[in-house]
Amino acid sequence: MSLSITIKSSGGTKYEVSIDPSITVAELKTAVAEKLGIEAERQRLIYSGKVLKDTETVESYKIQDGHTIHLVKSAAASGGALSGAASSSAANSTASSAPSSNAIPSNIAAGTGSFNPLSDLTGARYAGYAQLPSASMFGPDGGMNGMPDPEQMNQMLSSPQFQESMNQMLSNPQMLEFMINLNPQLRAMGPQAREMLQSPFFRQMLANPDMMRGMMEMTRGVGGGAQAPPAFPAPGANPTQQSDSSDSTQSQGTPNTAPANPFASMFPNGAPPINPFALFGEGAGGAAAAPADNRPPEERYESQLRQLNDMGFFDFDRNVEALRRTGGSVQGAIEYLLGGN
Amino acid sequence: MSLKRINKELTDLGRDPPSSCSAGPVGDDLYHWQASIMGPPDSPYAGGVFFLSIHFPTDYPFKPPKIAFTTKIYHPNINSNGNICLDILKDQWSPALTISKVLLSICSLLTDANPDDPLVPEIAHIYKQDRSKYEATAKEWTKKYAI
Repeated sequence: MSLSITIKSSGGTKYEVSIDPSITVAELKTAVAEKLGIEAERQRLIYSGKVLKDTETVESYKIQDGHTIHLVKSAAASGGALSGAASSSAANSTASSAPSSNAIPSNIAAGTGSFNPLSDLTGARYAGYAQLPSASMFGPDGGMNGMPDPEQMNQMLSSPQFQESMNQMLSNPQMLEFMINLNPQLRAMGPQAREMLQSPFFRQMLANPDMMRGMMEMTRGVGGGAQAPPAFPAPGANPTQQSDSSDSTQSQGTPNTAPANPFASMFPNGAPPINPFALFGEGAGGAAAAPADNRPPEERYESQLRQLNDMGFFDFDRNVEALRRTGGSVQGAIEYLLGGN
Repeated sequence: MSLKRINKELTDLGRDPPSSCSAGPVGDDLYHWQASIMGPPDSPYAGGVFFLSIHFPTDYPFKPPKIAFTTKIYHPNINSNGNICLDILKDQWSPALTISKVLLSICSLLTDANPDDPLVPEIAHIYKQDRSKYEATAKEWTKKYAI
């Protein structure tokens, strides 16, 4: 009877080997040496927290079919080379571990119940990543109130790690489910949403930093076009606002949305445009207690309402209505109020 | 209850272990495990393999497992008895955590020590004052005890 086991090396490479369980560990090492080019003397094989001894048989360690053995190269590799190769090997391991983590969603399998996509970020595969978005990026309260500063965002977008993790995220069906459930707009779209997120086009869009940058400009155009005060919530932070602001954008025909709207082709039947940043923004904010803006309008628009009052607009209901339409922009609200609609 | 959960974790670890850690029962007693952590490549512990002992309380997962290093290691948050100063092993424990996640947390503790909440103040002091000296000593200990 042969036993199929996976050898996982510290560099991240994995390979499967079929062996006869009655062979000794030394013999197993020789087989591994042939495949991976690491001398048997330099191998340390670890299973179930134990270092396997050369003289014992594989059987004696009760290694089961389909299980994984860790391989550690011992000292001979110089320390310098190790740290130099660290970043590239980290990237490799991310790539190679992706399929396996898809097959067995480890979080669920461990019986922990709810799926937390962020727990992955603290995993060892990301341990070497210095460029993960820092907490400061998501604003003081952990939610994505206001986009991170564009410089930072650009930097993050062009980093290969970011793209790698994006890809990984989108190829994980659980993650998709999670994102869709978080975003009311996507939820409303039903199965179409999943199709869109998984479509090669969307993937390509995320992989293309220029496109993402374009999107950001657009977001800024929609949200901050009228000198929004800093307290203005991120576009899409609340669904009514998002649809309102996109409505107004469409009706005014803001030039920002006109050139190559990357979504147009994805929504043949006229679904509302979706800001992919809002998607991820909500994903990130959602786990850290998303600041849902359910406050009454007089509180939410307190400073804007005061400004409008100071300017002589006293009709509370109309002021709120105007602010709601313009997503909290005072200037936009004035235009709306003076427009006499 | 606790046995069922421990068994489940054991199966998951065997099938798809994290790339830098491994764990399993020492003998037939499922409440007593050993684990190994490979020193993270971007730390002075690179290349080393560190062993730990794990004892599950009978009311696991409602109480945290007791985890200690059995390999000597030079680290501000790990003392000479191998005790680890890590919040999730104490008051921040949650039943949603698993051995695999705890081991990964220990891995990241190796990469990023927490000198502001030290278990060994002398090492923490050196870590803060003279980082290269800390790294040199940590490397030396790794070479001596973990390779």
